Order: sequence, then C-alpha cells, then structure tokens
Amino acid sequence: MDDLPLQKIAISGPTLASIIQRFSSSPGDVDGLLFGHVAHLTPSDLPDDDGPESSSIRSDSPTLVATITSYYCSGTVNSFYDSLGRIDVNALSLLLSDRGPGRSLIGWFTGRRKTPLRPSMREFSVSASLCSKTLNLSPHEDFLSSLNSPPCVFIIFSTPFSDQLVHTHEHRAFQFRRSTGVFEPKSMDVINIGPAFRGHYGTFCPSSPFPWLSCGLSDTEGKSHMNLNQMRRISKDQKTLDSCAEGFEFGRMSSLMGSEAVNYTSKLENLYEKMLAKLEELARLVEKSSDKVLEQENRNIKLRQKVAGLE
Amino acid sequence: MAMAANALPPLIASQLNYLLTHSPLPVKVDQIWSGCKNSFLSDRFTLLIPFCLDYIRWDVIYNAQFPLAAPDIIFSPEDENFHPLPISGEGGGEVQSPRSSLRDWNSKDPSRLMSLIHELRDVYMSYQRKRVGELDDERLKFEISTILSREGIEVGIISGADKPEEVKFAVPLLDMDLNKLVDGCPWKHQQKIYLQVVFPVSRKYSSAPCAPRVKLISSSEIKALFSTDDVRLPPWVDGMCMAEYLPTLEETLKAQVHFFLSTQFPKQQPVLMLQSSQHFNSQGAPIMSPPLVDYPWSPRWEISQMAERIFDFLVEESLSFKKYCNETQL
Repeated sequence: MDDLPLQKIAISGPTLASIIQRFSSSPGDVDGLLFGHVAHLTPSDLPDDDGPESSSIRSDSPTLVATITSYYCSGTVNSFYDSLGRIDVNALSLLLSDRGPGRSLIGWFTGRRKTPLRPSMREFSVSASLCSKTLNLSPHEDFLSSLNSPPCVFIIFSTPFSDQLVHTHEHRAFQFRRSTGVFEPKSMDVINIGPAFRGHYGTFCPSSPFPWLSCGLSDTEGKSHMNLNQMRRISKDQKTLDSCAEGFEFGRMSSLMGSEAVNYTSKLENLYEKMLAKLEELARLVEKSSDKVLEQENRNIKLRQKVAGLE
Repeated sequence: MAMAANALPPLIASQLNYLLTHSPLPVKVDQIWSGCKNSFLSDRFTLLIPFCLDYIRWDVIYNAQFPLAAPDIIFSPEDENFHPLPISGEGGGEVQSPRSSLRDWNSKDPSRLMSLIHELRDVYMSYQRKRVGELDDERLKFEISTILSREGIEVGIISGADKPEEVKFAVPLLDMDLNKLVDGCPWKHQQKIYLQVVFPVSRKYSSAPCAPRVKLISSSEIKALFSTDDVRLPPWVDGMCMAEYLPTLEETLKAQVHFFLSTQFPKQQPVLMLQSSQHFNSQGAPIMSPPLVDYPWSPRWEISQMAERIFDFLVEESLSFKKYCNETQL
C-alpha cells in the first residue's frame, strides 16, 4: 500500500498563505512539518454509459491526493535533523506529540531565500530518512485516512533571485519515492471554495477538534470508582469547559423562550456585549504576548550576532 | 544575477578565504549573495570547482542568522542523483563518506569548508566513475578497465539537451613536476598538461568504432609559456585504445619542453638562447635564436625577482621567436 504515486498535492488556501507569511517574516531560513491526509479522490465525472469505450477511459490505478491541512514551522533550520540529515527521532516525536486525530504527518518543507528550487544535499537525506521503514513514530488513529503512507511530501519555498520580478515567493512540491530514491515534482492545488473542489468536502477534517472530555460526571456511583488524580483531572476539565461556556449556561438560554421571550432582545444584546468584551480581552492578551515574543526574538538575534563575531 | 556582494560575516568569510588560499585546486567563487530577510549580510555563494578539465557549480548555503549551523549544498541540476550523505537506517561505513567534516561542525574552524568541499569532490569523482561504468558501451568499459589505474585520471559524462551523450577523460601527462622545471616560478597551484579525450557513447556494438576527439589542455599558468595548440598530436589510429596512444604522445611531448639555466646563476647574468623543437632549418637542425643578453637584469635584485623578470621576458620572447620561426618557414 505504500509508495504509490500521488496524482497531485492539495493544500488549503489559508495554510499556504500562513506558511508563506511565516517564511517571509523570519530573518533566516526555516523548516517545518506538514500535516494532513492521503485519500482517494472521487472522480466527479462518472460516465453513465457502460460501453466498451468508457471502460478503457476509466483507469484502474487509484487517484491519490495528498491534502495538507495544517503545518508546524520551527522558525529555524535543523529543527528535527542534524547537519548530516539524520532525523532526531526524539525531537520529531516531541513535535508530533500533541497533535490530535486527523493530523498525521505527511511530509515536511523548507524555506530558503534566493536558492534554486531543487532539493539540496541535506534535504535528500532528511526526506529519505523520513520515508524509511525503520523510522518509528507513534502511530495515530486516523480514521479518515485509510492509507498508511509514509510522510513523503516535500515542498521547497524560496524567493526569486532577481528583485525586479512581480512575484515575491516561489514554491515547488515533490513526492519522494522511496522505491526509486527520486523526488518527483507534483502539481500543487490550492483549495478554495468553489465547485471545482467538491471532491475535497468529503475528505474534510476540522483542524480544531473539541477537547476530549469524559462523560457521566454527575454519576456519584461512578465517582467513587475513580481515584483522586482522575477526579482532579475531571474537575479541571469541567472548569475549562465551564470557562468556555461562561455566560451561556443552559439556565440562561431557557430564558430566551416562552413568555420571557419578550425580554429576549435586551438579553441578546447583553450576550453580545459580553462576547465582544471577551474578544477584546483576548486581543489584548495576544498583543501582549506578541510583544514579549518580539522582545525575545530581538534578544536572540543579538546573541547570534555576538556568536558570529559581528559585534 | 548581478548583486552587490555585501560583506560575509567573519566566520563564513574566514572559511571561504581559507578554501581559496589553501586548496591545491584552483577553486573559484562565482557569486555571493544574501539569504537574509534584510540582505544586510551575505551568506550564500556559488563555488566553481575544477573537475575533469571543466568546472562544476555548487551553491553553498549558509545562514548568517544561525552562525553555528553547518552549510548545506545544492548541486548542479544534472547531478540530481548525486547523494553523498549516508541515509540513516541503511548500512554505512563507506570510507569516503563526508562524515568527518559535517559531523560535529565547528564554525570557528576556518579549514572546515575546505575539507568538506574536498571530501565531497572525492565522492563526486567516484559517482562519475560509477555512472560511466554503468553505461552500456563495451568500448568505454574496456577503456575504463585499462586506463583508470593510472593516477590522477578524472572521468565524467557530458550530457546536453540536444547533443548525444559523451564521456570525457582527463588524463594528466608527463610525470614530471612542471613547477620544479621553472626555477623560482611564481605559480601557486601544481601545473599540469592534460590530454582530454571525448568518446561518444554508443550503445550498439561497432567493429570499427570512430576515433575520439583528442585535445591537449594545459593548466592556466603554463598557457602563457607553452601553447598546446601548436603541438602536433600523433594521429589516433582506428581501433586504438588510450593505453596504446598515451605512451607515444608522452614521448612527443617530452621532447618539446626545454628549460635550462646555467649553474652560474645568479652570480653571473645568464645568457639565454631559445631553441625551437618544432622548426628545423634546411640542414635539419633545430632553429636557434641568437644569444639574448639584452633583457631586464640587475645584480642588485633579489634572486626571486631575477627569476621572475627572466621568466616574464622569456614568455614574451618565446612568442616572438615562435612567430619568427613560423614566418621563416613560410
């Protein structure tokens, strides 16, 4: 089942834009991991006629499409491999540890400015190691992907050599074929909303899954069978859930119906005000943490310059 | 791609300079440019590495933002199957693998880049030999088996978009150290004369394979002194192989290289006389120039400067002498 050729690689529009933005805002080269799934693409034009001509048109080989739904960018180089291109399995497992279902590793990418769009010496080594059978990553229960394919997608992001061109970024996608040890260039489709992408809806996977919480908390009999740790964790989860649902308790919702619906306009406005206040708070938090991150990055740059002997 | 070469950061600059000054190979730098967001510092460059009487272009990619990281290399587009690094999970232990330079990379050691490039070039030579060996051409297989035991031979495949595949052999000639022949010579790199042999790749058996293209090529410094274009190469007889051709060629060549300086040098100003090995007068004796004393000389100069000035003078004088010989022959 493994090492079948991909027909093409698809990436969601926001993911591609996000990777490019991350690459373009970083001071140096970057690398990262690509997550998604590989699936058969249902052809949208099934012929009605079962005559001898149509059977020859229909191909027997599966139409495999690798879809990239999310990514992780390290912000640096050699993040999960060394100078020789050998994979650091511990580092890689750490990066993969908090991915939920539906986010299996399907490949990796590099971003390097003003370089040719073909794989380098080290990138070949890394790709070959990622695809090798001996690499043991913790398997994920991916119920959407029926195929267990090795992470073989590789994308190079670069910028044009000349500054006078219209476009600012370039990319090329490859599938690394383990059987031949060759990078095969593949076309990359950017998924946006539209009729041409209907086939992708069937393979859609949400990228922010609901946190997994165990049920039956109010069952007192159940509680007695749990130990202190479990109870603590459950009450912590309950608190998290309560904070998410703050202001939207069930009791309040019931006041939106029946005879009390007369007041529902003011209650709705109240609800919206609270929501906006929450959003504002969140935005402020994000601003503050961005400032802190920027400060830290500046400190890092100064340190690196010092090491490089530039000060 | 004309780009202003901004300064390389000191660690990268010292590695590149070490390579250019200490390498026995005449490596050149083609372009230097920046991969940083603000392009204030340059951190990538293209190296032209001599191989098989031509140059291979390798892009060396450093990161000015990550000064401790080892560089990566992007090879030429034709060499997409050249993979010098071992792949983890596979049995290794090749003697030539560049583990020693990339492993435990020390960015403060200026000699690292040079050792990396030399190691990779050695692996590249083996890669080209293997590629040529895998070609389905009987004559080439024979040539390789008989000739590759000679030291210093490099072989490579030339493939172009429109032209048929060819295999080029670069055979260094004349075991003698040409640098030593010229006293006080200012040449930095070892100078050599090579025979370039280009065979077309023919996968079908032919009882009378066509002769390869044969050419003498000398390294850069010798070119000024000794023009290989004028040397009449012995003809390649059909059915010959390189192992047969080379000895005759070397005999012919040896007879044409003469450099003598009297043992009285430097106390006495040497008298120079040029003798042509390519032109003969009506009696069959080689044409000789009149004794030359009228050249720049001062006993107060340093010996090395004396040698240098004599050398420069000889270069010019040889050319005019040759012209004179050619004209008198017509």
